[in-house]
Amino acid sequence: MSAGRPGQRARWRPGAVDWLLLVGLAVFAGYVYYQLRHVLVYRWDWQSVLQFFAYRDEAGEWQQNLLLAGLEATLRIAIFSAILSLVLGLVLALMRVSSRLWPRMVARTYVELVRNTPPLVFLFIFYFFISAQLFPVLGIDRVIAALAESDSALVLWLLGDPRLVENLVVGILCLSCFEAAYVSEVLRAGIESVGKDQREGALAVGLTGTQTMWHVVLPQAVRIVIPALVGQLITLVKDTSIMSIISIQELAFSAQEVAVSTDRVFEVWILVALIYFVICYALSALSRRLELRRAVGR
Amino acid sequence: MRQKNRSRYLGDLLIYLAIIGAALWGLRIATTAQAYNWQWYNVPQYLYKIHEGVVYPGPLLRGLITTMQISAGAMVIAAVLGLLVAVLGMSGSRVGRILARGYIEVVRNIPILVLLFLFYFVVAPIFGLGRFASGMLTLALYEAAFAAEIYRAGIEGVPRGQREAAAAVGLTRAQQMRYVVLPQSIPLILPPMTNLAINLIKHSAIVSVIAIFDLANEGRNVISETFMVFEVWFTVALVYLVITTALSFLATGLERRFARSRASARAR
Amino acid sequence: MVDAVSPDRPLAVELRGVCKWYDEFQALKDIDLQVRQGERTVVCGPSGSGKSTMIRCINRLEEHHGGEIRINGESVELYEARPHLIRQRVGMVFQQFNLFSHMTVVENCCLGPIKALKLGRAEARERAMHYLEKVRIPEQADKYPSQLSGGQQQRVAIARALCMSPQIMLFDEPTSALDPEMIQEVLEAMIALAEDGMTMICVTHEMGFARTVADSVVFMDRGEIVEQAPPSEFFTAPRSERTRAFLDKIL
Repeated sequence: MSAGRPGQRARWRPGAVDWLLLVGLAVFAGYVYYQLRHVLVYRWDWQSVLQFFAYRDEAGEWQQNLLLAGLEATLRIAIFSAILSLVLGLVLALMRVSSRLWPRMVARTYVELVRNTPPLVFLFIFYFFISAQLFPVLGIDRVIAALAESDSALVLWLLGDPRLVENLVVGILCLSCFEAAYVSEVLRAGIESVGKDQREGALAVGLTGTQTMWHVVLPQAVRIVIPALVGQLITLVKDTSIMSIISIQELAFSAQEVAVSTDRVFEVWILVALIYFVICYALSALSRRLELRRAVGR
Repeated sequence: MRQKNRSRYLGDLLIYLAIIGAALWGLRIATTAQAYNWQWYNVPQYLYKIHEGVVYPGPLLRGLITTMQISAGAMVIAAVLGLLVAVLGMSGSRVGRILARGYIEVVRNIPILVLLFLFYFVVAPIFGLGRFASGMLTLALYEAAFAAEIYRAGIEGVPRGQREAAAAVGLTRAQQMRYVVLPQSIPLILPPMTNLAINLIKHSAIVSVIAIFDLANEGRNVISETFMVFEVWFTVALVYLVITTALSFLATGLERRFARSRASARAR
Repeated sequence: MVDAVSPDRPLAVELRGVCKWYDEFQALKDIDLQVRQGERTVVCGPSGSGKSTMIRCINRLEEHHGGEIRINGESVELYEARPHLIRQRVGMVFQQFNLFSHMTVVENCCLGPIKALKLGRAEARERAMHYLEKVRIPEQADKYPSQLSGGQQQRVAIARALCMSPQIMLFDEPTSALDPEMIQEVLEAMIALAEDGMTMICVTHEMGFARTVADSVVFMDRGEIVEQAPPSEFFTAPRSERTRAFLDKIL
């Protein structure tokens, strides 16, 4: 336990376990190399995959291709869903801490249903319900169609490719409803960790219950759970990939298309995994920094 | 005053039932407006069939068996691998710590779906793995990263003095771990591990994308034959719900039992 | 010394037969208490005797289960759905200060006036500074509570309560959480308040404060009011055995 403390970094002398692991790693790498080179005889071709991010057309202009479009859709879905799930999650969290029984029960039912079914199953149900039933009944599909036809720069900037607007909106709605259940749990934990003294202090100066929640409890609760919310954001970014199963055209979906059409399976999946890793790792580094700062601030 | 509270609870309960009822009614209205044909009566035959007094599992139950097989296998591997990663991460070996850290970061920052494709399309051909093995291994590797964190928290939750006392009576580090620390960390490890098992069963539905015929995939198949989208998905969701709820009761039960035994140990 | 209150002033707080239970445990048993406008009442008694519960019932942080509580002649039952209207008139100072940790001192003081009384920002701030001067810490206005000493925090809490221009002030063991050297500065703020003629109900064990300021001292034990008397009588000739035992312990 004491060998590797940061303070003792001065000189590192590998021990028996280190050598064992290094040898193991070398054998592993050697096996993979041998298999690739001599058994599968795989020919790497990164160039043709990179073309699916962007390519130069005949006029010499850079054009965005499938993978980049997928990444863009992933980011759009992630950002919009993060906002929407925060709003929905807040509503659910407030219901969970209500003094009345019925809002608590309704929110609890929703949260438990979502958390105890596989994301996949939830998405299939929601996808079918929202896009095949709810949209036509409420006439939202017409609104979206109108949106898609308008060539307003704002719509283009917010929602991207007009042909895929409905696809995108369904994806955002499904993911938000799903993530909201988890966000609400994070927020609820924050609200419950704000001391009773704070609430009573606010009530004693004559604020109503709602004012107390809004001006005193929530600001403190949100501050407490910000690192956890960033953690939830990482999960949300990762969960966008599941949307490919219901044909939302984001990064994982484009990746499958490109992998099938080019047969450059190894390159595509390694690259796509790398992209997700970079995004999520950056976010988790951010979360760690926030946590650290809070620990120092205390 | 208390009488008043009771009647308010009853009122709230009625409001709750009314809201749930309204939601279900709304679903019905919305679906019938789209000419959706509800046929719950057709569902049971996809769960089980009775032929000459013998019960045969239908596609959904067969899928459930696959789901349980893949989850159980993955859970065992995840439990072992997680312990290995946790021990490496806390070991004196620098290579071990770097490996453990790197493994956890990679797995935690890549979506499980992408990990699955990576395994199925890239790793599986290199190592000659089959479909089922790829699915099971992906799940195991994914959850092992979380299991490692659970083990670490459990081991660190045992007071330092215990390990020092064990060292003082002359045990080696491995013996301290094996005889003193691990037995005491089990109450801290078991309840979150049950939650991990719940997550694993939920995440296992993802293997249907590489054409493993688990519960979710059998559900999709039945739907493509019968178009009973809601009935089948609700049934599938209910089956998952029953299993995960049962396990989460187990987790709460374990937690309570350990809390009680700790409390009585303190009292003694 | 503070002037005594004449017995013909109207009642500010009146408790009649108030009872309260926590499940099977009876926290308050048939409490009768009258406090006239401008009167200073000190409540003392062993811990768990129901003192805090009683004053928390007055500003509706707790519900009572039997009997009646009247404030300025109005039953609190009238405000069951809007207890904040009572709390706007009845200020409270807590043992643990309960300052809002995410707000500066002056923001703490302004929150109630702005949100509950709908005062303008400038006016609320002016009022806050007025009362902060009164408790003699205007220079700390823009600090956060965690940067202040306990005594300073408690004085901020008093200023915060005063900013609502309350008609009655409740104190729930305001000096119990303080280091000894800080008790005096808080007591001085309370004495100044008493001299201004504020109606006060103080749960406290500071018997020096009770002697100099109180019009009446109440002794509670096991959820009951055992004895109530002017301080001169209370400290020299307690009637009840329980009161005597208690006084022996703390004096």
